[in-house]
Amino acid sequence: MKTETRTSLGVGASAPRPDGALKVAGAFAYASDLWLDGMLWGATLRSPHPSAWIRSIDVGPALALPGVFAVLTHEDVPGAKFYGLEHADQPVLAVDQVRYQGEPVAIVAADHPETARRAAAAVVVEYEVRAAVTDARRAALDPACPLVHPGGNVVRHQPVRAGSAGSGAEVVVTGEYEVGMQDQAFLGPEAGLAVPADDGGVDLYVATQWLHVDRDQIAPCLALPEDKVRLTLAGVGGAFGAREDLSMQIHASMLALRTGRPVKIVYGREESFFGHVHRHPAWMRYEHGATADGRLVYVKAEIVLDGGAYCSSSPAVVGNAASLGVGPYEVENVWIDAYAAYTNNPPCGAMRGFGAVQACYAYESQMDRLAAACGLSPVEIRVRNAVSQGSRLATGQVIDSPAPLAAMLGELAAMPLPGPPAYAPSGSRRQGGSGARARGMIGTREEPDPRRLPGGVGRTTRGEGVRRGVGYGVGIKNICFSEGFDDYSTARVRVELLGGEPHALVHTAAAEVGQGLVAVQAQIARTELGVDRVTVAPADTSVGSAGSSSASRQSYVTGGAVKAACEAVRRRLEALAAADPGLSLGELLDRYGPVEETREYRHRPTVPLDPVTGQGDSHTQLALCVHRAVVDVDVELGLVKVVELAAVQDVGRILNPLALEGQIHGGSAQGLGLALLEEIQMRDGRVLNPSFTDYLIPTILDMPPMRLSILENPDPNAPYGLRGAGEPPTLSSTPAVAAAVRAATGLALPRVPIRPEDIALAHTG
Amino acid sequence: MIPFEYLRAGDPAEAVAAVAGRPGAAFLGGGTNLVDHMKLGVAGPDLLVDVSRLPLDRVEETAGGLRIGAAVRNSDLAAHPLVRERYPVLARALLSGASGQLRNVATTAGNLLQRTRCPYFQDVTTPCNKRVPGSGCSAAGGYTRYHAILGASEHCVATHPSDMAVAMVALDAVVAVLGPGGARTLPLAELYRLPGDAPQRDTVLEHGDLIIAVELPHLPFARRSAYRKVRDRASFSFALVSVAAALDLDGGLVRDVRLALGGVAHKPWRATRAEAELRGGPATEDAFRRAAEAELAAARPLPGNAFKVAMTRNAVVATLRALAEEGR
Ligand SMILES: Cc1cc2nc3c(=O)[nH]c(=O)nc-3n(C[C@H](O)[C@H](O)[C@H](O)COP(=O)(O)OP(=O)(O)OC[C@H]3O[C@@H](n4cnc5c(N)ncnc54)[C@H](O)[C@@H]3O)c2cc1C
Ligand code: SF4
Repeated sequence: MKTETRTSLGVGASAPRPDGALKVAGAFAYASDLWLDGMLWGATLRSPHPSAWIRSIDVGPALALPGVFAVLTHEDVPGAKFYGLEHADQPVLAVDQVRYQGEPVAIVAADHPETARRAAAAVVVEYEVRAAVTDARRAALDPACPLVHPGGNVVRHQPVRAGSAGSGAEVVVTGEYEVGMQDQAFLGPEAGLAVPADDGGVDLYVATQWLHVDRDQIAPCLALPEDKVRLTLAGVGGAFGAREDLSMQIHASMLALRTGRPVKIVYGREESFFGHVHRHPAWMRYEHGATADGRLVYVKAEIVLDGGAYCSSSPAVVGNAASLGVGPYEVENVWIDAYAAYTNNPPCGAMRGFGAVQACYAYESQMDRLAAACGLSPVEIRVRNAVSQGSRLATGQVIDSPAPLAAMLGELAAMPLPGPPAYAPSGSRRQGGSGARARGMIGTREEPDPRRLPGGVGRTTRGEGVRRGVGYGVGIKNICFSEGFDDYSTARVRVELLGGEPHALVHTAAAEVGQGLVAVQAQIARTELGVDRVTVAPADTSVGSAGSSSASRQSYVTGGAVKAACEAVRRRLEALAAADPGLSLGELLDRYGPVEETREYRHRPTVPLDPVTGQGDSHTQLALCVHRAVVDVDVELGLVKVVELAAVQDVGRILNPLALEGQIHGGSAQGLGLALLEEIQMRDGRVLNPSFTDYLIPTILDMPPMRLSILENPDPNAPYGLRGAGEPPTLSSTPAVAAAVRAATGLALPRVPIRPEDIALAHTG
Repeated sequence: MIPFEYLRAGDPAEAVAAVAGRPGAAFLGGGTNLVDHMKLGVAGPDLLVDVSRLPLDRVEETAGGLRIGAAVRNSDLAAHPLVRERYPVLARALLSGASGQLRNVATTAGNLLQRTRCPYFQDVTTPCNKRVPGSGCSAAGGYTRYHAILGASEHCVATHPSDMAVAMVALDAVVAVLGPGGARTLPLAELYRLPGDAPQRDTVLEHGDLIIAVELPHLPFARRSAYRKVRDRASFSFALVSVAAALDLDGGLVRDVRLALGGVAHKPWRATRAEAELRGGPATEDAFRRAAEAELAAARPLPGNAFKVAMTRNAVVATLRALAEEGR
């Protein structure tokens, strides 16, 4: 076979994403745009109480409304009444009890969305309100705490024990840290369309992260065999972990099967805040012991995560917090206890960074305290303790691929710092005004561009009271699923002649959630097959599982599967070519017809952490990211402007530079949000800010320009040597920003997000 | 949402008659606040009378001042050359509020009458005296970060969220109202109420009262005025506290001053005690601080918002200091 010239837009190129231009132009079809003639609209009645017994449910008034086709409760669930990612503890519809505000109680299908909503509101539910358990520390550690589930409030307790506890340290620093409840804040609300099929099954079009795990949970609840529950991925408007758990999938399917009509459910923005899990809030107590010259001797930690009302993925989140709880540092003696507890708060589960985020904020805060105690710079303390290839983690696992943390820190610290503050210091405050005026800003007076100052366009300062700070953060994240999970992906690749040209069709069930995976799959096929024209088929369950679009794993695992399937196709083509030399690929395909191969790809196996010692090779790949944050803080008003974020990340191999930079920018922004803005406000089990008016995500004015350095030290175990890249930046940007604010203010700031009052009050009391 | 009828009024009198004649009717401006409340179940009017297209969309020059039609969009008002020249505090207050998209539809009257952001007010499953009189105040013992430190009552501790209104109160704005009984005017500062024992009433307006204009009097020294807004995010979020100020200097002395505070009370708070303290005194940082402290002596912070006292004081001092420096 004569392979044509090497394709452009293969691995390593910034190949454009097929969905990119459509999304920017507002023309992309999201799940909420799904439409079938004759479809009905579903709506969900949710519990107003964080904890209550259900005494009765009367659907009569709802059914009596014209236009209503079905009103269903737990009694109508055809099969299993409970589902869940790790434990089936979550009711499809509440049975006799609600455990969080927003828990689904009844569902309705009607011929108009407004009718459906009104009908849901017309269902009469009699509740007997119970006291809500809302303090996760009490739930986890106080045996006298009332139970949220009969089996006990501890979802998982994972100890890690290495070496001996607390010996021979000359310097000891302790700290208690808190992380608020962050939301994934995706823009496309939960949505899907269920279509009843002639065979008694259901076809479900849905925005999700993992089609097959959805199917595996939906089918038993519908009492259908898996082959009668077919899923196709609909346009996903962001995920970040929030679509790992089911939302409307079973509900829409139940309504479709009951009414015999297609049923669409779209959550509103407020409802969406109740319709998905959030990042676990955390309370962490740390003690670090070190030699006088700053080498770690021991780390002790207690980490309590609020799991909320149902299990979701809390056990795996605990595994991450425990196994990565000291960060990427060498230390012999480790004593960690990580817990997740049931409470009557909203269920918490997957969110970008998955348990490693919370611990990272705490251990990095500790490293800064240790640096201060030892008289070292933040960079130096980290360099002295940095892991490298061959280091042993607290779990006993040896890092067996490049982990050049010290070099990364060196490179970060050597990056130029941003220029002087946007303001002129007092005395020469009038400077800089001409620029502001030239940009046509309002007012006639001369002053600096407020967008570059703390307080932004609120114009709260022109430089008075503003102090600059610089901070560093380091994070380590496991890539792919850990702890013995059979983590694989499947790809089917077919090469054929279309319009006289060789063409490759790549089919996987991997969910494009905005990360650029569709483009990457096509790039791999181009590189492996030397074919320019590649189509990535819509993701659905007619091909084997791809696993989840989470844990930064899809380029690795689905990328690996596509590569493997392409290689198998190529081998067959080469065999044909050998038998029939001199033919071009097109001529071969013409003569022998299409060539198709399907392959599964697995990463190296892992093992569960030992439940007592926390030892075990629980992760298959580890990734590092380091951040430097530069902030200006108005100490009088407590306002922070992040002036610059710089990052160094080792990704093993760059598959698509543009997509990769987008991932690092986005992850850094999400970490900045956690440091300064983003928190679901909870009181007594109630969510107080379920809207984007009141839940504050960073705007472009809050997110600074970034300076990036991306390293390519390949991991020999991974396809192309790549290292998953989506999550690590989310870890290290939070502690870097917090450290910078501390440097500017001299305050301890043990909790994120840092609010203005945490700074202003302390400074001016 | 409950079903409602929609009427586009042809002139102000028709609008007033339509609303006055129906207890469940409401005026509709840009709808950016009212429609949200209808979706949340906070409001349930059975008739919406759209007044956003009435011929009240002009900014007119009066004797040294301005008359702003009730339907003037927030973005148009902020961009108006005379506003920028004579009342920069107002332009800046407007631009610091909401987002460009919202300001393009939000109207002057609607902005004045937007309702509190108290989370319990917006959550129909919780008690709230403002939403359901007599049901109780969930903020008592609850989440009070955005709540009042001045002029609250045991029945309600909510704050008024408008930025624009703070600037207008500082500027001695007057509101022109057309009601079922005819036309009248009243100072904007008197439009708003303190919660007292009737927190369901934000203003003194009666059902069917239509705001038709806001008048800004001649105030030459407002050319040197500023609005500072302290908030969690650089843009597109409500004030924790805000300050509207205009300063008239006579050498090193304060000849006259206008000062109003946002985010601290049930209404835009005209800081009359601080103004009295400042007038005739030195324009120094110390004096600014004493004036702010005089105003805040009456502050009764809640567990969740004690920070607002120091934050307000610092914001007042910083605003006046900057204005004073410009005057030198
Ligand atoms: C995401 C978001 C962020 C925001 N951030 C800010 C902010 O930072 N600062 C800020 O100040 N505001 C903010 N707002 C609020 C915004 O300014 C108001 O929603 C807007 O000004 C209301 O104007 P409207 O014309 O849309 O009013 P509508 O919603 O139409 O009406 C509001 C009220 O006024 C009544 N009304 C309207 N016109 C008249 C009239 N002529 N006479 C009598 N009654 C009338 C209506 O009946 C209703 O009760 C924000 C809003 C949103 C949604
Ligand atoms: S503060 Fe006012 S608005 Fe808020 S809950 Fe209390 S009564 Fe309602």
